[in-house]
Amino acid sequence: MTAMAKPSPFEAAIEAAYAARSKTNEAQAAAFDRFARLGLPHRRVEGWKWSDVNAALRAAAPGEVETPEIAPSPFAPLEPLEFRIVNGRIDLPKEDAPEGVRYGVMNPVGTIDELEQHAIATLNVAMTRKTLGIEVLDGVDFERPILIRHISGGAGFSFAQTMMRISPNAKVQIIETYEGEGAGFYSHLGHMVVRDGAEMRRAVLNETGAENVTHGICAAKLDEKARFYQTGLSTGARLSRHETHVHFWAPGSSASLNSASLLSGERHADFTSEAQFRAPDCAAAQLHKGVARDRARNVFQGKFNVWRDAQKTDAKMTANALLLSDGAEANHKPELEIYADDVECAHGSTVGALDDEALFYLRQRGLDEAAARALLVEAFVGEAMENIEDEALRAIFAERIADWLEKE
Amino acid sequence: MLKIEDLHVAVGNKDGGGSEILKGLSLEVPKGEVHAIMGPNGSGKSTLSYTIAGRDGYEATSGDVLLDGQSVLDLDPDERAAKGLFLSFQHPMEIPGVQTMNFIRTALNAQRKARGEGEVSAADFIRLIREKAKLVGLDDAKLKRQFNVGFSGGEKKRMEMLQMAMFEPHFAIMDETDSGLDIDALKMVGAVVNELRGPDRGFLVITHYQRLLDYIKPDAVHVLAGGRIVKSGGPELAVELEKSGYDQFIEAA
Repeated sequence: MTAMAKPSPFEAAIEAAYAARSKTNEAQAAAFDRFARLGLPHRRVEGWKWSDVNAALRAAAPGEVETPEIAPSPFAPLEPLEFRIVNGRIDLPKEDAPEGVRYGVMNPVGTIDELEQHAIATLNVAMTRKTLGIEVLDGVDFERPILIRHISGGAGFSFAQTMMRISPNAKVQIIETYEGEGAGFYSHLGHMVVRDGAEMRRAVLNETGAENVTHGICAAKLDEKARFYQTGLSTGARLSRHETHVHFWAPGSSASLNSASLLSGERHADFTSEAQFRAPDCAAAQLHKGVARDRARNVFQGKFNVWRDAQKTDAKMTANALLLSDGAEANHKPELEIYADDVECAHGSTVGALDDEALFYLRQRGLDEAAARALLVEAFVGEAMENIEDEALRAIFAERIADWLEKE
Repeated sequence: MLKIEDLHVAVGNKDGGGSEILKGLSLEVPKGEVHAIMGPNGSGKSTLSYTIAGRDGYEATSGDVLLDGQSVLDLDPDERAAKGLFLSFQHPMEIPGVQTMNFIRTALNAQRKARGEGEVSAADFIRLIREKAKLVGLDDAKLKRQFNVGFSGGEKKRMEMLQMAMFEPHFAIMDETDSGLDIDALKMVGAVVNELRGPDRGFLVITHYQRLLDYIKPDAVHVLAGGRIVKSGGPELAVELEKSGYDQFIEAA
């Protein structure tokens, strides 16, 4: 085992926890060695300039994880098939597995090649004990949403993985929530395979507490004519970062990657993504909406990488931020890297304040200032939620947004 | 009903200074009447409508605006709206993400609540908006869209008229509602105003051209030039202006 050079207290605690493990395999040992060399990402590492995980965890002396109180999920009315991952421990649904899906607890997945040099992904591979595996069977339109609740408590650290396989021509709606009021660190690595002609919809809600540090990765591999529609909403935390890595491996697949942040106080939310177009005739649409007030910080990094063979790629990226206070910040980094010559790719990014003219218009119609502001913010953020297909699900996201506006 | 007394308004410019746009404007629209204000570009027509409606940055430096004998200048724009003051915007906003019917219902109920009246039920609201939408020539599909998003200039003006018909304001200011409208749309505007016209309601119709006044017969016409009313008369004044133009008043102001 490689020892870390000058570890921070948090890194030292992780190192001690790894050393105390009795059962690790070779892949995990190699992964930990890579992590030991890389350390937790900090602002001088490319892609982490605005989201310094090392600094976010340096302040917190690592404590113990605690069993959290588990409140009913806002998605309960949809009667989902509910999985819980509590401090990294997987709880399967208490009911028998319904027809059309299989699931279980598996040995952890090994390193994802493309993320080998990703410090947190590699740490996750080293530390995770078990993986939640879910498979939607061939041609099944699984109408019940699948809910995965990531819940952490206390000031320790925990790691989890999920592995999902959407079989050919199957269709499913996944909902993931990140919950927990503690000051700990939680890392999740999701590995998704969307097979030929299959459709995966993924809605992510992060409502963790102000002291929390959460890092989620979704690595999705799309086969021929696969569809992947993702929507994320985060109210931030000490640091919350959701990464999506989509690989278009075969022709005719499409994705939408929408996200929105609603941030107040000192909260921080980061949506980072890359789309790797490796095959022709693929399409992606991405819309990010960030709202920040007080001293909050909204980060968006999006990258479209179009490989030489990926002709006829049609990809559009838009990031808009709304800053409601002078101290709030938005950092956007849209990137296009194109090696094919027959493509349509575009990106746009704006940062602004609420439109005075629109505010006046609404107030002239009778809305008081608070109501007019709330309506405009709601409308701004709501646009990113429009790729949620199911009306009832979209309504719950709309409620979360309205709740935030009322509280803040 | 609406009384404007020696109103002076300076509008701030980008370097923090202000220039006076309205220079002692006085005007009175009695109950139940429709008055027209005509004037050349830059005479202060939009400044007047924004000042009456209470837009930030359009504060009176002296003078007063009274609705039913009470000054409105210290009221917020929404408080003025609740008193029944309505402004039809010259350039109506597109508001992406705001569903049209929800917005109009929220606005109507906000006004009613501020006046101590009960909310309009969903069923009554839908019946009412369908009826008024027909009057202004907007189909149901448009009402389900995001507010004014992708609408033509004419459709946006119809949306202004729809709101005016829904809110049944006590006093309405129509800021160049006719600009960019064809004859059919002008007739529609006339129909909305004529339907609302009544002994307890007043209108101030701001326009550049006489043609809207073929459909809305004003009780009086005022010429605004150089920040004040330079001439007032009956409907015949509009016809005269159309013939001789505004040049004479620009000189005079």
